Amino acid sequence: MNYLRHVLDHLRKDLRLEWRSRDSINGMLFFALLVVVVFGLAFDPTGYPTTTRQIAGGVLWVALLFASITALNLSWARELRNQVLEAQRMAPSPASALFVGKALANMLFVLVVEAVLAPIFIIFFNLHVLGNAWLLVLILPLGTWALVVNGTFFAALGLRARNRELLLPLLLLPISLPALLAMVQGTTGILTADLDSIQIKTWIEQLAGYDIVFTTICILLFETVLNAE
Amino acid sequence: MTWSSFLNFSTMGHRHLVFVYFGVWIIQGGYLAWLAWSWNHTKTPRR
Amino acid sequence: MEQRTHSLRGIAWLWLGIAIAVLVVGFRQAIFLTPAEATMGDLYRIFYYHLPHAILGLIFPYVNLAASLAFLFWRRRDPLKALTADALAVAAAEVTVLYVGICLATGMLWGKPAWGIWWAWDARLTSELLLWLLYVSYLLLRRYSPSGQAGTLGAVLSVFAAIDVPIVYMSIQWWRTQHPAPVFGPNGGGIDRQFWPPVLWNIVGWLLWGVLIMLFRFALERRRQLAEQEAALQAIEASLEIPQ
Repeated sequence: MNYLRHVLDHLRKDLRLEWRSRDSINGMLFFALLVVVVFGLAFDPTGYPTTTRQIAGGVLWVALLFASITALNLSWARELRNQVLEAQRMAPSPASALFVGKALANMLFVLVVEAVLAPIFIIFFNLHVLGNAWLLVLILPLGTWALVVNGTFFAALGLRARNRELLLPLLLLPISLPALLAMVQGTTGILTADLDSIQIKTWIEQLAGYDIVFTTICILLFETVLNAE
Repeated sequence: MTWSSFLNFSTMGHRHLVFVYFGVWIIQGGYLAWLAWSWNHTKTPRR
Repeated sequence: MEQRTHSLRGIAWLWLGIAIAVLVVGFRQAIFLTPAEATMGDLYRIFYYHLPHAILGLIFPYVNLAASLAFLFWRRRDPLKALTADALAVAAAEVTVLYVGICLATGMLWGKPAWGIWWAWDARLTSELLLWLLYVSYLLLRRYSPSGQAGTLGAVLSVFAAIDVPIVYMSIQWWRTQHPAPVFGPNGGGIDRQFWPPVLWNIVGWLLWGVLIMLFRFALERRRQLAEQEAALQAIEASLEIPQ
């Protein structure tokens, strides 16, 4: 119970900080919108509905991936000001509680962006989901958590590094590849109804497995990273 | 093969064969040379 | 101490000589002594350099993982041992990038004339590319980290990489059994007995070479670490001499 209380405290702190400035969410929203518009210009969604359905899954996750990266770097920047990070290290609460709280906060921000992005996608790409749309409600959070948990961890890893903004995508993309594969294939499978339900279930299971494995590793190794000096 | 048939550049296959062998030697040798250069430019520790 | 470095130097030169000799024999076997292959002609000889680099490129990452785990274990218990483990981790990582990079490049140069494509997104190739990217990012993380943290952060990333590469392989393997795609490189079928000598000579040759450059890099890193310690000690001694 104590651990949960610490996690909620960290979560509340991050949400409050973000609410006051709102730069993360605004940055993410505009970035994602930009990606949608550029892709909309690149090919004609209305003229080629089949192609659009095949590509839309990948475009969605690319937009979310790059949008999250901008937010993830910002989320740890808050801890650098006023030597907050030193205070966090000295605090008696477990280091992983800080990590989980921050990851949950980032998750909420990206979910907000997704909630705004989904109608925009449907409108701009004239998307008509052929498969079972309710499965998307399962894939989107699982995929987002995969990106956010690793992203929060690697953003912390590169915190004091010189080229922080470069390091995060460099580290995040190779590690997230299995999750990216599962989320893009699953989303495209549902949009195009090319995959049957057993295959989609397998992708979802792989995504869930990935989430469990990497959340565990991140929680176990965060203490080492926080006290790296 | 002989040296003359090895150093043949007529088809893409032949060219790539030569690129691979010379390329690997250059890259591996280059890395060793870089290590040797760095070794000579690192101060010897007193003890 | 002098005696030990002198004999180590001698062994290193001898090792280099043997490695080069084995590689020369391997080259001679590969190019001049074995006959051309039935389907691919002489192009297949790329295989004699591609295969050793592929196999060895999968061994050095494990050296890095072992050294990284040793570093994390000794970090608080015995800092000097941890420093040595860290030096070995860096050396193994650089040699991994080298060997895996050569494996990818030679594979692509072989693939284009042989099968018409530079690349395919099958399980083996994608995992290999991923391995390369992960270790490049490992080296960049170390370079951009503030000194003192590089070892720990690198070791953590090493653990992630070790867990991730098999997962990538399995996930893409499963995906490709659902949607088959072109598979690169020799699969199934053994190698005919007359082709074994160059394979063996080259594997041994590149193994000897790889161990040599890894240990050379390790020695270089140790030298740098000791020089840093020297400099730090001198700085402390100098500050003590300032009259109060």
